[in-house]
Amino acid sequence: MTSTILPVATPRESRAWLGAELWGRRAETALALLAGVLAAAASIAPAYALGLLVDRIRAGGDAGAVVPVAVVIVAAAVVGGVATGVAGFLLGRLGSRMLADLREDTVATALRLPATTLDRSGRGDLLSRVSADIAAIDRAVKEVLPGMISALLLGVLSLIAMAGIDWRLGLAGAVAVPFYVLGLRWYLPRAAPSYAAERVAIAERSQLFVEGMQGLPTVHAYRLEDRHLAGIEGASGRARDISVGVFVFYTRFVGRINRAELIGLGAVLVAGFLLVRGSFVTVGEVSAAALLFHRLFGPITLLMATFDRAQDAGASLARLVGVLGMPTERRTVTEPPAGWDLALDDVTFGYDGASPVLSGVCLRIAAGERVALVGSTGAGKTTAASLAAGILRPDEGQATVGGVPVGRLPAQTIAIVSQETHVFAGPLAEDLRLARPGASDDEVAAALDRVGALAWARDLPDGLDTVVGDGGHQLTAAQAQQLALARVVLQDPPVVVLDEATAEAGSEGARDLEQAAAAALEGRTALLVAHRLTQAASADRVVVMEHGKIVEDGPHAELVAAGGRYAQLWAAWSARATGA
Amino acid sequence: MSRTAQPGTAILRRAVARNGRRLWTGTALAGLYQFCAALVPVLIGVIVDRAVSSGDVTALLAWIAVLALVYLVLTVSYRFGARQLMRAIAEESHRLRVEVAAKILHPRGLRTDQRSGDLLTISTTDAEYTSYFLDHIPRISSALIAASVSAVTLLLISLPLGLIVLIATPIVLATLNLTAPLIARRVADQQSQAGKATSLATDLVTGLRPLRGIEAQDAAAERYRVVSRRSLAATLRAARTQNAYQGASSMLSMLLAGGIAITAGWFALTGRITIGEFITVIGSAQFLIEPFGVLAVVPSWVAAARASAGRVASVVQAGLVLPEGDKTLSGTQAALRLEGVAHGPLAGLDLHVRPGELVGVVAHRPADAEALVRLLAVPEAYEGTITLGGERLETVERDEARRLLHVEPHQTDLFTGTLAANIALRGEDGDPLTEALHAAAVDFHEDGLDAEITERGTNLSGGQRQRLALARALLARPPLLVLHHPTTAVDAVTEQSIADGIRAMRHGPGSGYGTVVITSSPALLAAADRVVVIGDGAVTAEGRHAELSVHDETYRQAVLR
Repeated sequence: MTSTILPVATPRESRAWLGAELWGRRAETALALLAGVLAAAASIAPAYALGLLVDRIRAGGDAGAVVPVAVVIVAAAVVGGVATGVAGFLLGRLGSRMLADLREDTVATALRLPATTLDRSGRGDLLSRVSADIAAIDRAVKEVLPGMISALLLGVLSLIAMAGIDWRLGLAGAVAVPFYVLGLRWYLPRAAPSYAAERVAIAERSQLFVEGMQGLPTVHAYRLEDRHLAGIEGASGRARDISVGVFVFYTRFVGRINRAELIGLGAVLVAGFLLVRGSFVTVGEVSAAALLFHRLFGPITLLMATFDRAQDAGASLARLVGVLGMPTERRTVTEPPAGWDLALDDVTFGYDGASPVLSGVCLRIAAGERVALVGSTGAGKTTAASLAAGILRPDEGQATVGGVPVGRLPAQTIAIVSQETHVFAGPLAEDLRLARPGASDDEVAAALDRVGALAWARDLPDGLDTVVGDGGHQLTAAQAQQLALARVVLQDPPVVVLDEATAEAGSEGARDLEQAAAAALEGRTALLVAHRLTQAASADRVVVMEHGKIVEDGPHAELVAAGGRYAQLWAAWSARATGA
Repeated sequence: MSRTAQPGTAILRRAVARNGRRLWTGTALAGLYQFCAALVPVLIGVIVDRAVSSGDVTALLAWIAVLALVYLVLTVSYRFGARQLMRAIAEESHRLRVEVAAKILHPRGLRTDQRSGDLLTISTTDAEYTSYFLDHIPRISSALIAASVSAVTLLLISLPLGLIVLIATPIVLATLNLTAPLIARRVADQQSQAGKATSLATDLVTGLRPLRGIEAQDAAAERYRVVSRRSLAATLRAARTQNAYQGASSMLSMLLAGGIAITAGWFALTGRITIGEFITVIGSAQFLIEPFGVLAVVPSWVAAARASAGRVASVVQAGLVLPEGDKTLSGTQAALRLEGVAHGPLAGLDLHVRPGELVGVVAHRPADAEALVRLLAVPEAYEGTITLGGERLETVERDEARRLLHVEPHQTDLFTGTLAANIALRGEDGDPLTEALHAAAVDFHEDGLDAEITERGTNLSGGQRQRLALARALLARPPLLVLHHPTTAVDAVTEQSIADGIRAMRHGPGSGYGTVVITSSPALLAAADRVVVIGDGAVTAEGRHAELSVHDETYRQAVLR
């Protein structure tokens, strides 16, 4: 099944983002570059001074001639050392700060993406962006970029220094530049597809790995360990073979870098030879130029070799900036509702313009009323619940609370608890505090108590501080659902939608959960998608849906008496109870 | 630190040992490469001295040809040496990754408190960083070779100059090495903080729907921001240390090279060495900065590799949950017997399932059922006895135990592949598949089964997943099958058809299969031969569903609503 990929920023958008970020930190950027230039200049100065010394020696100067050169070298070492450290730190800090802002913005945006977007693209892509892509840039910022920037500064300054001795020497050195560029242009197009294939193989490997880990009970139960391991080994082996293959290109690329070095060095020496013969420059100046040029080999090779990693980081950046540019759900305008009554007014909705799942649904729930929504699978209950909670937007009609469309309600007016539970990794109390940051310990305990979860929570190894979720204490499905309800209690919204919030618990747990749900809903306007008809029976009113339409609406007793669709469902449910 | 350093060191040592041939060939070629690279500044001095200052065209051409030859050897040795090393690195990280995966998937269960995000990081990043150690060795040895070539050249030109290099270099390196533990600590802290931020981002995005449900996105984003800032602070702390070190090492290297050059200049001015020798000395001294630089950053590389190797070791050398079972049972029938079992909320549970029996279990407390299921899947840390075919469950060889006693997890996990491949795990097809699908009331069309699973099956409804899991379990035909609330997300009519299906498939005439269904579904309980009721961790009642529902008030309340 193909899923739509989340957007990726164009190079222009990425550059614009980078430009804006650097401009926003221009003082910091300028300072970092200044330190970098100083470090580069300090590392060039000794070669230059020594070149002058060559001429003094040739001219038969006395031993004292070494003193000014020594002063320059020691000063350059001290200044250069300090500047290198400072420049490295400042560049690293600049990059790390930009990345920290970027990852926080990306995660904040990801968390605000509309439900429909994620349903279409799947979570996998987004997950890999907030983890793998951020990590890729992080590594580049820490390991690659500071080195590249100082190499670039050193290269430019060295060529300027050589041209300062004699422009022809500078030109001779610059002869190497096109060969470096040719090397890159030979290598990058060959490497890029291999790297892309490598990433696919790595993604496949990670997927198998994650599946195996998360599905570990199933893997064990069916004795699939060897098969899963073979899958991981196969994918890992493929990734390894691709890496080795692309490295063959890389070694040939390094050969081309060496060629550029040889050509540049030869050009400088030959040009120097001719210029000395024509008495345009001294032997010492040629020595200085050759030494300056030779000094560049290490840094330039580093620059070339890390170019693809910078490119990779650029690709990751484009994927993050792409997320930043996505439309998010954020209430810009809010209106206070006139009351807490929930209404769906003639609502029609279809996924991706397909035939409508809901058509012309009208539903009114008075403030404080508890309405159960029942119907067979595929009747559109979940869709109706999502529309009421504002997670989906209707194609036609509108969902309102107190007359205000749900999309424009003040924050935290409606909460929805769905069948999909998630226990957030970390201390139990912190999981609850997601609903209300800053809630006191007493408030957290009270919320747990309300849904009947305080007793077991206190019994956990570290009580409410027990680390739960991924990597922590594993809670049961019923406990996870109770937590979800406790979050609602803590948040205290006036309107609540429960979508089969008790279905996963197993029947014994279901009764506890029904009580928990009832407690959580007390005093709130509630729409309850009920799988278990006991919940419908205890609601103020029951609404029956079939094929995207409301077919019955009334109190439990009346609908049972009326002998319609609900009466049939109830009969089946009751028959179940007597053991059929 | 030494507590974590030890196992990491062992992993690194093994990496060297098992990649010996490639590693040492590559290291030798890398040394040749470095030797040629060290010759380049020497040749620059020679060319300036013999050709540029004399104006001799023949000398220029001859020495440029020598330079080109050196470059040829340099390129070729790099190309083949580096490929050997790369193969060794890629192979090692692959092997480490597979070892980590094997340990995590180990049938006896990995004993770990690490999150799955951390485990994933260990299997990828840490396996890689560990294998990079194989890159560090040739780099270190090449740097030493380069330093030696330069030192020998300098010794040949002038004994005092050579001695300065040989004495000063180790002193400089030793001084710089003093900071290695601090750097290691900072780097490890930075890596762990970055890992935490990644785990949190993954966790929050995974729980996006529930977060959205309570509009907690802002709180979640704020939580991520706090962790991200902590990671930034750790990064900056590490950067401060690393760059201070970098600055100091570059200063010392430049002072060393500069000191040599100044001394050489003084020697040249006083006529003790020639101008050509002077340029060679400068070139070599300047060239020395790079290998010195390599030797200077080596501690932080090795620290990173060792930190990663330590984390790899924390998985690879971690203990297993279950003991190694050596008892083998044969046949296709086995009885399951629990006597006085205490574990978590279970307090003296007795349960006996004979071959051929369909036993319903009703647990008044969900935790009792959870504990029972957990214990049957992973029999550890319990009191009393659990026997399978007469042998204690944990002493039975794991593969054998799971073949005989299949506990279907309540949470259905599906894997990449088609729906069919997820049900028929061992490639079953034809009648058995059709029968299992029918028994589990899986109502997909034939071609529907060929559909690929996306995102671990999250696009399927809870009910669909539950029925797929049931079909999968029935199709596996285990002698003993434990089902944990198999029908919570299906409607009453389907539930009845599933109850009939289970009976038909597993408990036909002469069948020796045993089945335990933990449920409170009257349809399933009515299909059972016998129902066992667990309250407060022990059996409180036992009998047929029909009898219990008539005579037992609490039972009636539990299942008949």
